[in-house]
Amino acid sequence: MTTYVLKTLWRHRTRTLLTVTGAAVAMFVFCFVGSVQEGLHRLTTGADADRSLIVFQESRFCPTSSRLPEDYSRKIKEVAGVREVMPIQVWTNNCRASLDIVVFQGADPEQIRRTRPLTLTEGDWQTFSSQRDAAIVGRNVAQRRGLKKGDQFSIGEISVNVTGIFESSVPSEENLIYTSLAFLQYTRGLDAAGLVTQHEVRLTDDADPDRVASEIDAVLRSGPVATRTRRKGAFQASTLSDLVDLIGFAHWLGYACVGLVLSLVATTTVMSVQDRIKEYAVLQTIGVRPLRAMRLVLAESTILCVAGGISGTLLALAALEIGGFAIGAEGATISFQPSLALAVTGTLVSVFVGLAAGIAPAVQAASVPIVNALRQA
Amino acid sequence: MALVELRGVCKSFRKGDETITPLDHIDLDIDAGEFVSLMGPSGTGKSTLLNLVSGIDRPDAGTITVAGTEVTKLSRSKLADWRAANLGYIFQTHNLIPVLTAYENVELPTLLLKLTSTERRQRVELALEAVGLSDRADHYPRQLSGGQEQRVGIARAIVAHPQVVVADEPTGSLDTETSEQVQTLLQRLNKELDITMLMVTHDSDVAAIASRQLVLDRGKFLEQSGTTPTRKAEGDEMIKQFG
Repeated sequence: MTTYVLKTLWRHRTRTLLTVTGAAVAMFVFCFVGSVQEGLHRLTTGADADRSLIVFQESRFCPTSSRLPEDYSRKIKEVAGVREVMPIQVWTNNCRASLDIVVFQGADPEQIRRTRPLTLTEGDWQTFSSQRDAAIVGRNVAQRRGLKKGDQFSIGEISVNVTGIFESSVPSEENLIYTSLAFLQYTRGLDAAGLVTQHEVRLTDDADPDRVASEIDAVLRSGPVATRTRRKGAFQASTLSDLVDLIGFAHWLGYACVGLVLSLVATTTVMSVQDRIKEYAVLQTIGVRPLRAMRLVLAESTILCVAGGISGTLLALAALEIGGFAIGAEGATISFQPSLALAVTGTLVSVFVGLAAGIAPAVQAASVPIVNALRQA
Repeated sequence: MALVELRGVCKSFRKGDETITPLDHIDLDIDAGEFVSLMGPSGTGKSTLLNLVSGIDRPDAGTITVAGTEVTKLSRSKLADWRAANLGYIFQTHNLIPVLTAYENVELPTLLLKLTSTERRQRVELALEAVGLSDRADHYPRQLSGGQEQRVGIARAIVAHPQVVVADEPTGSLDTETSEQVQTLLQRLNKELDITMLMVTHDSDVAAIASRQLVLDRGKFLEQSGTTPTRKAEGDEMIKQFG
């Protein structure tokens, strides 16, 4: 009977191919939307998002407008519950939402090495620490911009020497370029000597993040610039608030894709069953049970959907892997990454949609009035 | 006891405001190994009777028993199982599955039975051999002539070794020469394999190959063992007319 199902699909290969292609395109979009949502989720949750704080200038959003004294780090370190403070100068080529945002973070190389989950795939830390204009570039940025070790990379007022490429277990890190703090502070046009964009605070294991954040703001209230301190996850969600709304809305696009696949496969299967209603009557006349006739139709719709779904999912995963896509705003980036969860979701959705799409035509095939159907020309 | 027993079988259809009763309290016995042909004018219920015996249609009243199973009592699923094991159906228009080869078409009914793959292959090969199409096993229906298609249809009907084979106008769509080949084949299968057959036909020459000929008219049999001589005479006359 499997032969019958496969040969039936092959008989109308143009229709089959078009349906599979349609399902593949829809599942491609579904997985892409899913990867954006996964990226946002990764960015705003997890240990790093909850156990780190970002001290930013009050009422400022774009990194270029937050200018905190570098020596705030000394005062922050004195607050109970603070394990380590890393002053960071941020530079971005675009404060608005962009698909090709380039974000530089300047910090002490030794601190970067110690606190960030980075693995250099090209270059070494020693060169990065010793050269003034050295930069290590995240894998995704390198992929998008075609950068490799030894390249000179210039954007705006900044010109760096790529001394390494890194990978990270935190996908959004792979969209960053790290330089030394001093290099960014003294870049022409930034005018940021002695100033930083933000201080990143790492907490002790027993510290309450919200209490520490309040205390930091209270301590710095007497300083020249007022601050607002938030958990890193909340800070990033707030920074990307416009995008968060957009991404929240995009999940409807994902559902729409599922609906599209459902209607496409259901239409094809209904057409296929209606074309062959006499065939189903013949099958039942020779002894095929109605339930078996149903299973044949369900197999047909599921094969169509799974073939399209898996193709679309694999294409999406490949595109995400190769493309190194990211969307960012105001110095924060959301990385679009392929994942096992995405592959499993795409496959399961395809199976369920395939089964759902086949239900109505399967019932039709199983309940066909045999005598009437046999009389059809 | 007859292999096929119909008792008081009635079947009516609504056609607009009119009620048509093609079968009106029909009784019929067919013994094992018998070859019965059924003739009659269009719309007299020949095919309806065939469909009722096959269990693909249900009577309004009466009982149909085939090989001891009262098919009128079976559910749709049970009927399908019963047909798979006990009934072969030869269609007028062959009704082969176009995407399957001759071999695969003949194999279909055996897939519904509990057989090993070896048993299945042997049965299919024997059935194709019986209809003289072993050399066409890999051909698709579109690659076969009308007569060859019908022979594949016949092989499909006998491959499961059914108790009864019903044939609805098996030569209706064939030319004279091919029709004669199919008639010879049906006769041979009945005699050599002892297959019980019930065949509907419009053609008295085709009907003549059967061991018993019945004529159905206005819901009743005109010629049948045990009917009145007058009705028998009417039946003989009608057979002549068809001839």
